[in-house]
Amino acid sequence: MKRRAFLGIGGVLAAASAFGGWTLTHRAGTGPLLLSARDGSDGRHYAVGYRLDGTQAFATPVTERCHDVYAHPALPLAVFVGRRPSRESYLVDTRDGTLLQTIDSPPDRHFYGHGIFDAGGEWFYTTENDTSEPGRGVLGVYRVDGRQLARAGEHSTHGVGPHQLLWMPDGETFVIANGGIRTEADSREKMNLDAMEPSLVLLKRDGTLVSKERLPEQMNSVRHLAVARDGTVVSGQQYEGNPLDKAPLLAIKRPGQAFQPFPLGEAQRQMMNQYTASLAIHDDLRLLAVTAPRGNRVFMWDLDTAELRLDAPLPDCAGVGAVDEGFVVSSGQGRCRLYDCRGERILASALELPAGLWDNHLRLA
Amino acid sequence: MLFDRSLIAACATAAIALALGACAQKDPYQAASAGLADGVLLPAYTQWTETDRRLAASARAFCAGNESLADARRVLRDAQLAWSGLQPMLVGPLGEGNRAWQVQFWPDKKNLVGRQVGNLLKANPDLTSADVEEGSVVVQGLTAYEYVLHDKTVDLSDAQVRARYCPLLIAIGDHQQKLSADILGQWEGDDGMASQLRTFPNARYADPNEAIADLLRVQVTALDALKKKLGTPLGRLSKGHPQPYQAEAWRSGASLPMIGAALAGAEALWQGGKESGLRSLVDDAHADLANRIDQAYASVRQTADSFDEPLAELVGTEEGRTRLAELYEQLDTLHRLHQNDLAQALGVQIGFNAHDGD
Repeated sequence: MKRRAFLGIGGVLAAASAFGGWTLTHRAGTGPLLLSARDGSDGRHYAVGYRLDGTQAFATPVTERCHDVYAHPALPLAVFVGRRPSRESYLVDTRDGTLLQTIDSPPDRHFYGHGIFDAGGEWFYTTENDTSEPGRGVLGVYRVDGRQLARAGEHSTHGVGPHQLLWMPDGETFVIANGGIRTEADSREKMNLDAMEPSLVLLKRDGTLVSKERLPEQMNSVRHLAVARDGTVVSGQQYEGNPLDKAPLLAIKRPGQAFQPFPLGEAQRQMMNQYTASLAIHDDLRLLAVTAPRGNRVFMWDLDTAELRLDAPLPDCAGVGAVDEGFVVSSGQGRCRLYDCRGERILASALELPAGLWDNHLRLA
Repeated sequence: MLFDRSLIAACATAAIALALGACAQKDPYQAASAGLADGVLLPAYTQWTETDRRLAASARAFCAGNESLADARRVLRDAQLAWSGLQPMLVGPLGEGNRAWQVQFWPDKKNLVGRQVGNLLKANPDLTSADVEEGSVVVQGLTAYEYVLHDKTVDLSDAQVRARYCPLLIAIGDHQQKLSADILGQWEGDDGMASQLRTFPNARYADPNEAIADLLRVQVTALDALKKKLGTPLGRLSKGHPQPYQAEAWRSGASLPMIGAALAGAEALWQGGKESGLRSLVDDAHADLANRIDQAYASVRQTADSFDEPLAELVGTEEGRTRLAELYEQLDTLHRLHQNDLAQALGVQIGFNAHDGD
């Protein structure tokens, strides 16, 4: 039985929105553009952009499955970063989905799935694996040259198996989650579970190490990040050790303080099945949102008091991003949700977006 | 069309609901979800709770000398089978927060159950229920209970041994009874799990499709787990070397009956109870698929029922391994038919981030 209501209408709107000017992504009335990697029901991988009302801006087929995506600060461009151990990332025109460039990693490097533009829009940075010395974390540096990216150099991430990277509020300092897991070229096999070296690193744009901090548990892979306007950094972990161990799956580094476990309730920790996926912070509401797809659970906390605000089921939840009302969360299985967090009670509603097949991360441009 | 089942929120807005006409009443996905909740899942959870109530009573009766070891083992077997039957139905509370570990600890690669039971009794000569409630999940469930009733090192005909282990048996029985009653309560409450499978939208599901997708997801997960439960002792993860002590419930020889019970649970989801099951949602264009799934269940059931010896013995002989390999292939076929073909025919996604995230 098939029930595909009203896709035709969405398709017409999508076509209409695809011929605007460069400023379309921020034009009032159209709302934010949700960017994400998504699989099609045809089994292919896509880089997609949707308005939250369900209007499809684009769905561009790409060769490799992507992971995170990052929009250019001024131009209608976004890079969909190849999921490890991909050697390809994709520069896409977010107005109509035109694939502008397939960015190849250098021969001895592969992407780890995350990358960011700088605030000036002149540079793009990715986390990469030096496969000639497997696991050695590299920060790939790309110059934005017209509508192309060109490799311009690299720095060390001062760690093994780097994953997500973000900017600190100064726009000059990176925060990098070194997952600590060594993998080799063309492989996702974890080679060093008995000798993992996860860390949280702050790095100047020129590659100068500012700080490197660790959590006590050696098998607790620091993978995903969110940074608040005031410089508070939250990290999400994936624990590779005994499923019965009580490892801190969220950690926080408040301005001027050490990197330390976030005060997570035992009930919530249990619900996560040792695995967190995506994190987002809502700066105006001072809320932290986290998805835990193995636990099929979405959580929200007050960032300042660590008070639990939401602990809700959402099968195969994936990406999360902040919008005016609160957060948007995607799912590999069900429909995307909008959580309105402005009132005392958080209200969830389903968005008119295609259901399921959304990959790990989403961004709102 | 690029993405199937896009914008499926047929009942989400008044205008669309009007356009389709009272779809809330006639939606076959809702009918199947509600029918499965009331006709299959609730009865299965109720049955599990009942077997655990009897388990708690049996532990007391056995320890008071009013029940034979053979009877105590039969009651344990009922609890094991009821639990196995729930495997394809782990939507909601029992599938969350690692609660399933409190019922059964598997896989147990390092014999944690044997060692932790020993350590627990050594550290607490006067064991109380609180010691078990506050202790590790490893000693709270059916696997530890099975260890006491079946392990060769525990001679329950010796009164001293019996006195030593009985507080643990009673504590586990009580824990299982409490846990299952609590879970059943979470199913039956006003906003409970059964209700969330009947009326939409709710705090868990935005629409009936999400409920059907979730039911199919746990069914597929259970079928995949059955392959592991058979494949691990068969040696598929150990270069063909049989691993009889890696089997689920090897001490009681319940491994194959438990696989059979889980298969029966999966088939109940497929066929439905009095009301419609997942099968009712397969349209005429996929009638061949429905027949193939019927046939796959029939074949695997026939093979699973054909074994008289315990799994741990079968993996020790060439002939036994050949017959088990056939069962494995049939489980694999059944798993694939659900994961790929049925998911596609029902137009639902069963997710992937939970299994291969990054």
